[in-house]
Amino acid sequence: MSVKYGILTLLYLQKNHGYDLKLELESLLGTKGKINPGQIYTTLDRLIRDLLVSSVGMDDQERKLYEITTEGKNELENWLLELVPYHSTKDDFHFKWSCARKIGFEQEKKMLDQQKATIMKDVMELTKLKTEFLLRGDENRYLLISGTLLHLEADLNWIHQVENRNRS
Amino acid sequence: MIKVKNLKKAFIQGQARTQVLKGVDLQVEEGEFVAIMGPSGSGKSTLLQLLGGLDIPTEGDILINQNNLSEMTEKERTIFRRKYIGFIFQNYQLLPTLNVEENIAFPLHADGSLTMEKHRFILELLDSVGLKELGRKRANLLSGGQQQRVAIARALVNTPSVLLADEPTGNLDRNKAEEILGLISRFNRENNQTIIMVTHDIFAAGFADRIILFKDGVIDQVISRKDDDYAKYVANFMA
Repeated sequence: MSVKYGILTLLYLQKNHGYDLKLELESLLGTKGKINPGQIYTTLDRLIRDLLVSSVGMDDQERKLYEITTEGKNELENWLLELVPYHSTKDDFHFKWSCARKIGFEQEKKMLDQQKATIMKDVMELTKLKTEFLLRGDENRYLLISGTLLHLEADLNWIHQVENRNRS
Repeated sequence: MIKVKNLKKAFIQGQARTQVLKGVDLQVEEGEFVAIMGPSGSGKSTLLQLLGGLDIPTEGDILINQNNLSEMTEKERTIFRRKYIGFIFQNYQLLPTLNVEENIAFPLHADGSLTMEKHRFILELLDSVGLKELGRKRANLLSGGQQQRVAIARALVNTPSVLLADEPTGNLDRNKAEEILGLISRFNRENNQTIIMVTHDIFAAGFADRIILFKDGVIDQVISRKDDDYAKYVANFMA
């Protein structure tokens, strides 16, 4: 999970202040836990430094308001379309997909298609490796890869479910 | 090599016409292991039937080792099929009252080519699929996994250059499926047989070098393994 991209997702929708960003980000993460307020403000400072977010004055309760820049929007959209590698597929892709749904990202289908393709490629490569370990009698590595493959299969089934529900 | 050009297939029932394949172009290299996946009704099994010469396309060409199936008569297609193509089905399709050896030898009876040498080959095949001791046992007394091993041996008895498999592990549990897929890939590696396998199961498709995704009668996506990338996976897991 990345606080940086969570903040960019929320600012993509509207300008906001730090405390509200903290609450919204916790809601976006679901049950994944609390965010330390300090983490929000240091991330916002870095985003301003990198010109991805700008500070645009105060709201009526004297709270500092933040707005995403065009560069920030591009950064978020590029991240949404970046592939998630097999060793971190589930959590990272689920978070990315939640961000995409939050902003109504119009390239969601492309995200799903390319993640599906990358999972299938991982499955082929790891199955070949698994078979080699089996032939070599390396039981531990064979079982470790079998475990990774079962996770990838679950990830793929989940993408199929999203696709089916998007279609209906 | 297999070349499929603009392949179309429609089924007509009464006034209704169902276009199952809507223009498929595909090339499979000799010795390649390809998995075809896609939702039910996407055309994957129809493609396999056409590749095996069990049905004829409405339009388009299928070339296997430069022989155009679309230009053959039914009789020519049957002879071609016996010589070059082996089939493995989900439900094994063994003859229940024949024993294991007789089932494996069955395709040879059709063209009268069962010789002593071929019989020795059948015993070798039995050994390689791990059923050396069961040659005289009736097929219907075997477990599902054993029956599929017999079906694989039967598919290989004519040493076909192309093996077509339709959900070969669909009726088996994970462990048995892994054994069967291991066998199929071993024959692919050792005999350089081209394998085209239809499956809905990513676990099975993982054994292939290339996955072709079908959707609504056309190829939607093609995903390939790459030897260069494989080295990275090896490095990751060996670390």
